[in-house]
Amino acid sequence: MSYVDQAQSSYESATSRIPESLRVYLPILPVMALVGLFILYPIAQAIYSSLFNKSLLAPEDAEFVGMGNYAEIASNPDIHQVLWNTFVWVTVGSVAAIILGFLMGWLLHEKLPYTSVASAIVLIPWVLPRVVGASIWRFMFNGSQGVVNQLLVTTGLTDEYIVMLGSSELSLWPPIIGMIWRLAPLFALLTLTSLQGIDEHLFEAARMDGATPWERFRHITIPMMRYNLAIGFLLMLIYNIRNFSMVWVMTRGGPGVSSSTLPVMIYRSAFIDFQVGFASALSVLLFAVLLVFSYYYIKFYDKMRGGL
Amino acid sequence: MATDNTDPTAEFRKNQSWLFDSKAGGYVRKTAVGLLTLVIAAFVLFPLYWMIVTAFKTTAEIQQIPPTLFPAEFSLEGFRLVIESSLESSGYDGFVESAFGVEISSAINIDIIGMILNSLKVAIGAGVIAVVLGTGASYVLSRHEFRGKTALMSLLLASLMFPGTAIMVPEWELISTLGLFNTHLALILIYGAMTAPFVVWLMKGFFDDFPDSIIEASRIDQCSSFETFWYVIVPMARNSLIASFIFAFLLAWNELVFALTLLDGQNYTVPPALLTFVQGFNTQWNVVAAASIIVSIPVLIGLAYIQKYFVQGLTGGAIKG
Repeated sequence: MSYVDQAQSSYESATSRIPESLRVYLPILPVMALVGLFILYPIAQAIYSSLFNKSLLAPEDAEFVGMGNYAEIASNPDIHQVLWNTFVWVTVGSVAAIILGFLMGWLLHEKLPYTSVASAIVLIPWVLPRVVGASIWRFMFNGSQGVVNQLLVTTGLTDEYIVMLGSSELSLWPPIIGMIWRLAPLFALLTLTSLQGIDEHLFEAARMDGATPWERFRHITIPMMRYNLAIGFLLMLIYNIRNFSMVWVMTRGGPGVSSSTLPVMIYRSAFIDFQVGFASALSVLLFAVLLVFSYYYIKFYDKMRGGL
Repeated sequence: MATDNTDPTAEFRKNQSWLFDSKAGGYVRKTAVGLLTLVIAAFVLFPLYWMIVTAFKTTAEIQQIPPTLFPAEFSLEGFRLVIESSLESSGYDGFVESAFGVEISSAINIDIIGMILNSLKVAIGAGVIAVVLGTGASYVLSRHEFRGKTALMSLLLASLMFPGTAIMVPEWELISTLGLFNTHLALILIYGAMTAPFVVWLMKGFFDDFPDSIIEASRIDQCSSFETFWYVIVPMARNSLIASFIFAFLLAWNELVFALTLLDGQNYTVPPALLTFVQGFNTQWNVVAAASIIVSIPVLIGLAYIQKYFVQGLTGGAIKG
């Protein structure tokens, strides 16, 4: 009797008392237990904690405050800056990553030889450990030895080195540039794959009918890619809104809150100010936004797969 | 010039656009594409180039203004400092001194070998958990119809969306309650939970496309469902399984937030350890770059292997690449 048979017979004897109709759930149980305990339960717990005034140092002294934390969010002097920063991250970061990524994907598909090698190289920013990528950018934007400053001086855009990461007017932008660098390759890969998936005959037929390159692009390429682009678009939004490491490594969200986004503010209020309730309320805010995005993500996903 | 859409011939369209149809337009277009390629390539590759050249510069050259584009003196100082410091903090300095006659005294304090071992432990553990649990579940989800299936799949997909930062506080409380604070097991379980839904989706894409005829053939040969799964399906799924594993591995290898909050300094995995070093006082960038290159090598090997599964994984098998 092989070990597979042994596994089966012990599985059968162990599950013999479970009705046939429920046995199908058994292989799913471990995953659901794991995900339930370490992802879903913390989400529920965050929602629950957001109703309490609770300190990380003395969680047992939690005091029920209802919507108090949410009221505090609304009146917090820093929150407007942080929400604005998050908005800038999501719009500027996503749009730039999408345009750049699309161009990259298109170049890889049409113009560059050795597509597979080139796309592997292009992907490196995306797979590199987050902290590594962010560290490189931190060094490049360094105020005294940074190569970005040198570039600006050489091209005559500035006269002297600027301490961008330490300036409250400018500190938001270096992490965004770093994030565009990290995300664009991902969008490029999505573009490349969906371009490769389009049937060449469609273009051939359109060419016969006298369609200009722009018309072919407008009426064939874009419609054929639209679900992939929609997924890519949502991924860019989601990754930008939840990004933590690029900001944290480069500026720690500072100076002040000038480069903080929502996730950074959550981290700061929980693990620096120890305000768990307040941090949880911010998390719920972040959940709410992401829930909208994931709704559309699942919807487009559904369309592409033709049902779950 | 009015455009006549009723004329179907290509001839008519010629010379409508100098950019597309004239020779000069061709040159303009080629130049524009060439420039675009150069600019994009520079943006993507320059930071990587900068990391590499920085790693090979001496400390003195790092501090030079303006920075040099290429190391004036090709130096391994950064790598040497990283390795020496690592040997010192793991207590091997005495051994190296007596065996090779090299005296080790590093000005920095980063145990890169130790942190790579921690990361390997966590990443392999998470990968195994995610693949083993995820594959079984995805097989059932792909092959059987039952109540609550759609809801389950949506729940799994939605759980992928939630950022670590937002559930960090309850996670911290949970891990403390379970008595797992400052253990690698905590990270293995969390990263396993974070990637298992992903594996379910990736493998479901594979199983959905798996031909029924093969399963029926093995039934006719009197294989039990376990035998069919183990001897027939798993070997064919090998590539997808390896890809799933590498996905989970990479996530665990790269993750910062949980590692930063749930571990103490001496148990750090690569990302938080590197972070403390980067944000330390008077950062030595050649050492950071050298350490970065060392810790990126496993990732790049993984990338080379799973490149073709990458998009497939991201969109859960939606696109056949």
